[in-house]
Amino acid sequence: MRRPTVVLTAAALALGLAGCAIPHQRGDGAIDKVAATKGQVAAIYEDYREIRNAAIELLDPKPLSTVETGPVLAIDTGSFAVAQKLNRTGEQEAGPVDVTRVETPRFTQYPLWLFAVVRDGERDVQKLQVFERTTAVDPWLLVASPEALATTKIPDLRHDGSGRAIAIKATDQRGMAMSAQEAADAYARVLTDPDQASSAGITEDAFVRQMADVAATNAALDGVTFSQTWAAEKVRYVLRTSDGGALAFVTLLRKDQYIVPTTRKITWPEGSPQQALLEDGIQGSSGNLNYYHQILLHIPGGMAAPRAIGQYGGVVQGELGFDGQSVEDDPPAPDEE
Amino acid sequence: MRRTIGGWALIVLGLVCALLGLAMAVLLGPDGRRTTGPHAVDVDGSVLVTAPGAITWVDVKVDVLVEVPAEKPVFVGLGNSVDVTNYVDEVQHVEVTSFGTPWKPKLRTVDGEQPTVRGAPTALDWWLVQSAGLGGASLSTTLPDEPVSLAVVAVGSSNLSGLKITLAYGIKGGFYKGLGLLLGGLGIALAGRILRRGEPALEHGEVDEFEDEADEVVYVYVDDDGVEHELTEEQIASGEFDVVAEEIIEPEPEPEPEPEPEPEPEPQYFWVDDDGVEHELSEAELADLGDEYEIVDDEEGDER
Repeated sequence: MRRPTVVLTAAALALGLAGCAIPHQRGDGAIDKVAATKGQVAAIYEDYREIRNAAIELLDPKPLSTVETGPVLAIDTGSFAVAQKLNRTGEQEAGPVDVTRVETPRFTQYPLWLFAVVRDGERDVQKLQVFERTTAVDPWLLVASPEALATTKIPDLRHDGSGRAIAIKATDQRGMAMSAQEAADAYARVLTDPDQASSAGITEDAFVRQMADVAATNAALDGVTFSQTWAAEKVRYVLRTSDGGALAFVTLLRKDQYIVPTTRKITWPEGSPQQALLEDGIQGSSGNLNYYHQILLHIPGGMAAPRAIGQYGGVVQGELGFDGQSVEDDPPAPDEE
Repeated sequence: MRRTIGGWALIVLGLVCALLGLAMAVLLGPDGRRTTGPHAVDVDGSVLVTAPGAITWVDVKVDVLVEVPAEKPVFVGLGNSVDVTNYVDEVQHVEVTSFGTPWKPKLRTVDGEQPTVRGAPTALDWWLVQSAGLGGASLSTTLPDEPVSLAVVAVGSSNLSGLKITLAYGIKGGFYKGLGLLLGGLGIALAGRILRRGEPALEHGEVDEFEDEADEVVYVYVDDDGVEHELTEEQIASGEFDVVAEEIIEPEPEPEPEPEPEPEPEPQYFWVDDDGVEHELSEAELADLGDEYEIVDDEEGDER
């Protein structure tokens, strides 16, 4: 080795050894925080699994309120209520939780939230979950959990310089045909009236067609007046995708209303959630069934139309309305008693 | 020339490092930190926090001891500023807006609707480091590379009146790092000195590409008798002599050592019997024969 090289190497080595971990001031001065560390995510899922299994064992949805909230809790509570009424025991999730992907954006303030993909091998689906911590003293709660087929490709997300997914506002429509909130509202309009798909700029995907079929079947009940409305709740969880678009977790409230004359009676199959909520069916009155549906909406970059790539939902409320004596009698239909 | 500049640069660099190391070791002392306090802090309420951005240093080792009178329960914790800010949001508290060493805090009172924080600080999972105790609590940590805030919270229904804080800050192993920097700097300065002077200690090995030309210019004048006299550069510079011819004198190569002379071959003696067969004789056998032989052939390398 040549002399200057030796000397400079020795100097650099000495300075390097002495200089390691020398105090310095933070460069950017940004006040922000990664939503959760890897260890915290593991703890979140461990708690969630433990409490969910306890709830299943007790057939009591109350413990779930410590790990779930909002529509997810409402949907699960509904299913637990159904299970209680039907005296049906649930099965605990004994296997390991297969969390295949975790995205923890940076936030400058609360609430914090994270996105995780959990593979359910038994049902061959992937759960696309969002956990949120509203304040520093609140626990992490599951707030969204739409599901997609295991084969469904989840769009790649865009990451910042530190490898964190980028959360954007629901009203941000940069680089997209519409913002996440606008897409959610348009999607709800299309679900209410599928003919509006093209004018609303929404792709008529499998979920839209499935819900349209259900509505058409219910509307075909002879002598029964059926109406269905959809409304999107405020969108809170949106991630930027690598194509310049966004991935939005949207909660939709669906309201089905049946007006049934006294000469007709609507019942639901034994063991169904609707049957558990409206045990005696609907006869001579109106009946309402409310559903929550959570969908994962992909709003592509550019001018392409948004489409749903995953959904999860269930009935959360059933109630009988006014006396239907005044409803005109019609001959019974095959779906009626 | 380059060697000289490089040498000086190393000397300066080494001395700067050595001085830094010395200052570090002296300032921090054998425990690698400076301690200040206890300092009384006037806090009427139950919460004292540092504002986001008040702590800007990274890799500084800090030790904080908080003490309150009458064995009151107290908590001290360090957390990300986003967490701490949310934790004390809408809570009446005292905020340290800036801090200068050794102890120059700027305080301000922040109004809030709540007299104290929601939830026990010990129940939260986002503290980077925390401690709680009766009458006092302490923590020791190295400041991470993220925005952090320090929080002192009175646990339960107590308050922080009579709060005293002792603070120590420094570098983990700072004393020894200072000594290392001192020694390293001295080593670098020594290397620079050697490089500048061109001492042979560094001249082992290959040829230095930065080294001055090895050829030496010698000025001479020849007198009338044809005898050469060497001139100094000052004499040449004085203009007294005109340079009429320049001859570069290559340094004489070191004479190679002469090879050791090969040892003379030992003479060998033979006698030939009547049948013409040769028999080798040793020196002793030859002496025993006395004059009973005749050297018939003394050809070089073939003596008999």
